[in-house]
Amino acid sequence: MTTESTECCKSTESKECCKSCPPCDLGLCYGALLLRVWLAVRAIQTGVEKYAGFVGSDQPVTIDGKVNSYGLTAADPVKEYAMNHYHGVPEALMTKFTKEPIMMQMKWALPLYDKVLGPALLILGLMILFGFLTRTSLFLLGLLYISLTWGLILIKEDSGVAWLGIHMIMIVMALMLSKHNRLCLLKKW
Amino acid sequence: METPPSVISRRDFLAKSAAAGAGAGLVLGMPSILRAAEVSPSKTLNVALIGHGKQGEVLFDAMRNIPGLHFQAVCDIWDEHRNAGIGRIRSLQKHTPKGYEDIDEMLATEKGLDAAVIATPDFWHSPHTVKALEAGLNVYCEKMMSNTIDGARAMVKAMEKTGKLCQIGHQRRSNPRYRYTLDQLINGNKICGQIINVNGQWNRAIKSSQNIAYNPKKVVKPDILSKYGFKDMHQFMNWRFFRDLSGGAISDLGAHQIDIFNWFLGTVPKSVFATGGNSYFKDREHFDNVMALFDYDTPQGQVRAFYQVLTTTSAGGGYFESFMGTEGTINISEQSAYTNIFKEASRAPKDPNAPPDKNEPPLSWDTLVMRGYLGRKAAPAAPPPPEANGGGAIKAYASKPPEGFTLPGELNKPPHQPHLENFFASVRGEAKLNCDARHAFLSEAPIYWVNPSALSKQPIVFTPEQLSV
Repeated sequence: MTTESTECCKSTESKECCKSCPPCDLGLCYGALLLRVWLAVRAIQTGVEKYAGFVGSDQPVTIDGKVNSYGLTAADPVKEYAMNHYHGVPEALMTKFTKEPIMMQMKWALPLYDKVLGPALLILGLMILFGFLTRTSLFLLGLLYISLTWGLILIKEDSGVAWLGIHMIMIVMALMLSKHNRLCLLKKW
Repeated sequence: METPPSVISRRDFLAKSAAAGAGAGLVLGMPSILRAAEVSPSKTLNVALIGHGKQGEVLFDAMRNIPGLHFQAVCDIWDEHRNAGIGRIRSLQKHTPKGYEDIDEMLATEKGLDAAVIATPDFWHSPHTVKALEAGLNVYCEKMMSNTIDGARAMVKAMEKTGKLCQIGHQRRSNPRYRYTLDQLINGNKICGQIINVNGQWNRAIKSSQNIAYNPKKVVKPDILSKYGFKDMHQFMNWRFFRDLSGGAISDLGAHQIDIFNWFLGTVPKSVFATGGNSYFKDREHFDNVMALFDYDTPQGQVRAFYQVLTTTSAGGGYFESFMGTEGTINISEQSAYTNIFKEASRAPKDPNAPPDKNEPPLSWDTLVMRGYLGRKAAPAAPPPPEANGGGAIKAYASKPPEGFTLPGELNKPPHQPHLENFFASVRGEAKLNCDARHAFLSEAPIYWVNPSALSKQPIVFTPEQLSV
């Protein structure tokens, strides 16, 4: 990883360079880092959960000290992650979307969005976490959240819209603090 | 028509059953009297899918995880369904099965078939099953056996004449949760005590009961529809609502659950009194709601059972069968969410001088929980004080809320899979059918009289002729 600004500030060769660098405010650097990590974790885990599913337990039930002969298995389903569990848009929302007149006009859009959403969250989350094109990836994450917001407005999920609004504020704050960004793979863009 | 020598006649059957000391009671609970087919246990079974609509797809999905099956052919009169089935099989076993519109052509062409899985509309069950059995195939056929009792009789006769296996799709009969409940809780540990009442229902929302729509650009050709007994595409898609093609809601939904009444009680009812009507879907031939009362004589005593099927309301607990006794009640359903077990809280203290009660549970409920026979539910919320809901007068009549329990385990497979596994294991000679056509007939026969009772608004007291093959 590079710490370009820090190195720049340490440099004695170019005073011009130091003038163009922001002041090394540790608090702002920590703030930028925390915000970046929060948004990254939020996106990554949401993307990972798109691959989660529950399957019946294979653990046989013991009755009176013996494994039952009926084939009864433990009641609690087991959560697992697998490609075949992938569901970009949750089923309950998908049903609502398919009934919307706008979506009926663009039948191709929903399956495409469903396919792209999970991987997009994972990729953007990882880019933000490792500081790869941080500002661009934050901007793209903001666009993704706007698309989610539009969908929720469509099906009148107002609480979800408000909830995504908070995410948007955090993204804007992260962008504002991006000049204090440290610990990144590629700071450009 | 002359009775083939291998077929057990009605009188012989009743006489043998009575001689066994239990009439239809034991018969309903006995394993198959039929021999298993002579197929090597290690052999891959070649299977034909006959009918690949919605239910055919459900059965196929349940068979996906059963090893040793090779899906050789798909038969469906609609190329949309047929091609969908071919595609599913191709993606599962990397082999393209042959598709047929006509079952006769399929049976004449395909060699080496071991079994057929039939999921066609009810009025085709009997002809298709008889054809497949006579062609030497073992058959798994969806319930209801037929839209007519004579169609069901023909299936039993064909099974017994050919000596092939015929399993009817009452899939709860192979469900571990149901088998455990009957064996261990009702019969073994007698947690219900004496069962006095049975109650069952399938409450389905209007939304789930609508006509099935179709794309006008993708229809079955009129001459093919006509050839196979359908007036038009609407009737083809919605055959369940027509009297000549199906038994209606009591058959579609009720048959599964009334079968459980008979299986668990170990006998068949002696009478039915039903009512029903087209209260909402007025253009349908079959009733959209039916309520039926059955009277049973069981070894424990009289049992009265109530069953309702609603297609206009989903509230009220969904679908379950409830066995209500002096000691406890078991609400069992294919859905875990609808399954509940309750211990009676307000039973009178036992008289120490009273003679032993044969229906008394041998173990206490606490012991059953400790040993793992039952799980315990969280304690119910305390009822509000009497002052809050009408004063002490109500308290005098109210019962203490019963304590809740759960089954100790679940089924971790699609609900139809164990029944299909039992069928294929029986074809291999490794098991006996859990619901062969004769046992299914005994249980289904009373159901054929529900609609006539509702139509005539008269109770029907069954005669042996009405319930026998």
